Amino acid sequence: MVESEVVFRVKRYRPESGGRPTFQEYTIPYRSDMVVLDGLNYIKDHVDPTLTFRWSCRMGICGSCGADVNGQPRLTCGTYIRDVHKGAVTVEPLSNFPILKDLVVDFDDFLNKLASVTPYIVRKDWGDLTKEYVQYPEDVEAYRQQSLCINCMLCYAACPVFGSSPEFVGPAASALALRYNRDTRDQGADARLARLNTKTGIWECTFVGECSVVCPKDVDPAAAIQTLKFLATMRHMRRLLMPGASSR
Amino acid sequence: MTGREYPWKRRPGWWLRNRRYLGFQLREAGGVVCALYGLVLLNMLIQLREGESAYTAFLDLLRTPPVLYLNLVLFALVVWHALTWFMLIGKAQPIQFTRQPLPWKVVFGVNVLLWLGVSGAVVYLIFGGI
Repeated sequence: MVESEVVFRVKRYRPESGGRPTFQEYTIPYRSDMVVLDGLNYIKDHVDPTLTFRWSCRMGICGSCGADVNGQPRLTCGTYIRDVHKGAVTVEPLSNFPILKDLVVDFDDFLNKLASVTPYIVRKDWGDLTKEYVQYPEDVEAYRQQSLCINCMLCYAACPVFGSSPEFVGPAASALALRYNRDTRDQGADARLARLNTKTGIWECTFVGECSVVCPKDVDPAAAIQTLKFLATMRHMRRLLMPGASSR
Repeated sequence: MTGREYPWKRRPGWWLRNRRYLGFQLREAGGVVCALYGLVLLNMLIQLREGESAYTAFLDLLRTPPVLYLNLVLFALVVWHALTWFMLIGKAQPIQFTRQPLPWKVVFGVNVLLWLGVSGAVVYLIFGGI
């Protein structure tokens, strides 16, 4: 049942026009069970089919529907309008990324950073592939929190360090690096720490902590980066005192 | 990046966007204040070396109302700097005595108590009692 109406202020950018992004207002029917993505889809289906935005799963798993909602990075599928509805719902593309069109941002840079930390299990020798690589519950628990990352990039949009220094490897890539460094099956920790132990790596982080606040999966990338700083320091000291020692 | 993309530019006043950004900026400002106040103390030593009259004149300057008010502001910033870092210590290096790390509030509380204890001891040593 339609209860009332809600005003959506959506930032529009039309690359073909070459102008600056502008806001466009839409007044749409409102129900208390609507999420912001429902509102955007209503606009797309019934009001303005030219509005462009990403979405897929509608259940906070795919990480594709992130946008700045009333100034804060959020998954639009997981944000109830009733929780952010103060006069109007303002939806903008994620901060800190170049805009391709309307709410769609270019995340090639993020994907390159992600690839730079080899976010997968690295082994020097896979050995017998029919053999099982046994992990105990406590082994899984060691990296479970970081493994929940869905690459939604909300943490990058919230990070003022990334906003001023785009070369910073950033929160999600760092958290995923820690996830694989903590995996007992992985042997790529040394190369990851070497990548992260740089000016554009973890040391760029000044511990603002907003990445952990906006993370929809409680990955806590800020804590992951601080842990990596500790591990990178230990690696450095170990290499000084015991050349050739393992990094884990 | 293609030519049609609209580049991102950080807005001036970004740190006023929410109170956590503001808190972070104040924490960083508190760090700068700590460093600058070190220069004031260094200057105090220089005045002490210059002789009694120079040292007394410097102490008189420190007792003037504008400097006292400035000290209050600087003290507030330093306290904020210390408290916010105490809040982060549990995350920066989780302290683990059990299977789960200690909650940050416990780490924060212990640090504040230690801080108050050390500060009290210093005040006692300087003034011979509170």
